Amino acid sequence: MAQTAPQQEKAAAKVIPIQESSLYEAHKKIYARSVTGVFANWRWALVWITQTLYYGLCWVEWNGRQAVLFDLVERKFYIFGLVFWPQDVFYLAVLLILSALALFLFTAVAGRLFCGYACPQTVYTEIFMWVEKLFEGDRAARMKFDAAPLSVHKLSRKAAKHAVWAAIALWTGFTFVGYFTPIKTLAGSVMSWQLGPWETFWILFYGFATWGNAGFMREQVCKYMCPYARFQGVMFDPDTLIVTYDAERGEPRGARSKKADHRAAGKGDCVDCGICVQVCPTGIDIRDGLQYECIGCSACIDACDQVMDKMDYPRGLIRYSTEHAIAEHWGRKQIVRHILRPRTLLYGAILSAIVIAAAVGLTLRQPLKVDVIRDRATLTREVEGGLIENVYRLQIMNLAEEPRRFALSVTGLKGLQIDTDPIVEIPAAATQAVSVRVRVEPDAGKRGSNRIHFEIRALGHDDIFVREKASFLLP
Amino acid sequence: MQKLIWILWPSFVVAGIAEAVFFTLIDPQELYLFGEPANFSRIATYSIGFFAFWAVCAASSMFTCFIQRSSREINSCPLPKRERPRDCPKSEE
Repeated sequence: MAQTAPQQEKAAAKVIPIQESSLYEAHKKIYARSVTGVFANWRWALVWITQTLYYGLCWVEWNGRQAVLFDLVERKFYIFGLVFWPQDVFYLAVLLILSALALFLFTAVAGRLFCGYACPQTVYTEIFMWVEKLFEGDRAARMKFDAAPLSVHKLSRKAAKHAVWAAIALWTGFTFVGYFTPIKTLAGSVMSWQLGPWETFWILFYGFATWGNAGFMREQVCKYMCPYARFQGVMFDPDTLIVTYDAERGEPRGARSKKADHRAAGKGDCVDCGICVQVCPTGIDIRDGLQYECIGCSACIDACDQVMDKMDYPRGLIRYSTEHAIAEHWGRKQIVRHILRPRTLLYGAILSAIVIAAAVGLTLRQPLKVDVIRDRATLTREVEGGLIENVYRLQIMNLAEEPRRFALSVTGLKGLQIDTDPIVEIPAAATQAVSVRVRVEPDAGKRGSNRIHFEIRALGHDDIFVREKASFLLP
Repeated sequence: MQKLIWILWPSFVVAGIAEAVFFTLIDPQELYLFGEPANFSRIATYSIGFFAFWAVCAASSMFTCFIQRSSREINSCPLPKRERPRDCPKSEE
């Protein structure tokens, strides 16, 4: 469209300067009050929920130990009543598959819910921006503050902000390490300045990452570093709920007087105030359509709804909607009906199947594991009475959090018997190697390898029982 | 700076995955260093292991960046235009 010079000048003047680092609080320039709205409340609710869990869970006790602890030194993962060993890596794989499928499902239904509400990057950025606002004011004040010459006042404000940021970041790093080494011991070492070099390093490393990501990099992480942002598009379809600008209703956009009948003047509902751009944490204009930078935080929905309220227009010029719904003018009911579609049903079905299978597997899991290894030093030997003896090493793992006694027996050959003590006691949640000598008459089986079975039964718990095969060599 | 991030960031992510898979399957106490059992604490082995993975992955990223250069980038003179000598055949480039 050809524009005259004054028109171009006017258009250029209206362009809102995009400042890479301070966009989020931008709407404060126009509104004296902070952004309120359904989605802002949801975001803050999620900040509280996720961070209460994150900072709090590591301090919860269970069975006299930390409830959730990924003990790397002992190579045991504790999650409340469950203890996972390296042998349980299967469940870790299941957990990863579940997380991926859940992400697929949520993305197919409602776009980037995770990014907008629960991703640590979003959550910590939210917290850090709140601190920033506390010390440097809202967007307008902050821009002025940053442009102002260096002064004692400026320096002290900046220093205070960074001190609070650093404190949050360090506590975050400490909490992170506290999930991998018992946090109470860790706290003790911090208090007495006896923190190990690696713990110190990882606390500082994670703290530094938090400080940098939430304080400085912010939306850059989402735009340039996050792999999910790049491929989430393939999980979208025309029925996926996304933050959408209703162009049909909004265009042609333009400024107007509140009293004027804008429809008669040939204008749409968009007043082109630019607040949706100013509140956007990634600095995009949602009116240009769906973009990969959009993290689905809905800040623009809240902001636009407030403008619509002021103008006495109906809300929802920017809203959660789907491509189909916008094109076909669907109402809420039809959108909801389209949540159930082959893609989501399939994701849902696979997800529930795996959840059920994993839950059943976990409940039926024997709190006992046994590995039988033949003693490699002596294959077979003849002992007193002409009996033939084989020696085995039984690696017995008691997964229960109480000491247990186990009875060993052996079957498979006539007259096969254990010569060593058939009762072994294993401490709580521990592994013990037991050397077992097994004897039999030389003519009880064929020459060479004979299949036998070890049976290990917990005394007092008849249902805890493991049968492991082994081979017995006869000369 | 951008190249540095291209090298360090993907390798960081992949190193994290490699670390998790490797040490889930292998107990650091069972590792041998120059034919002798590695006498580090587990935390130390995990940490050193992570940085080793990161370094290896970064080397791979670096190589990718290196061979990704276009022929124009390779053929052109590395000096900024005004620093090239007057009689340089590429001074007009």
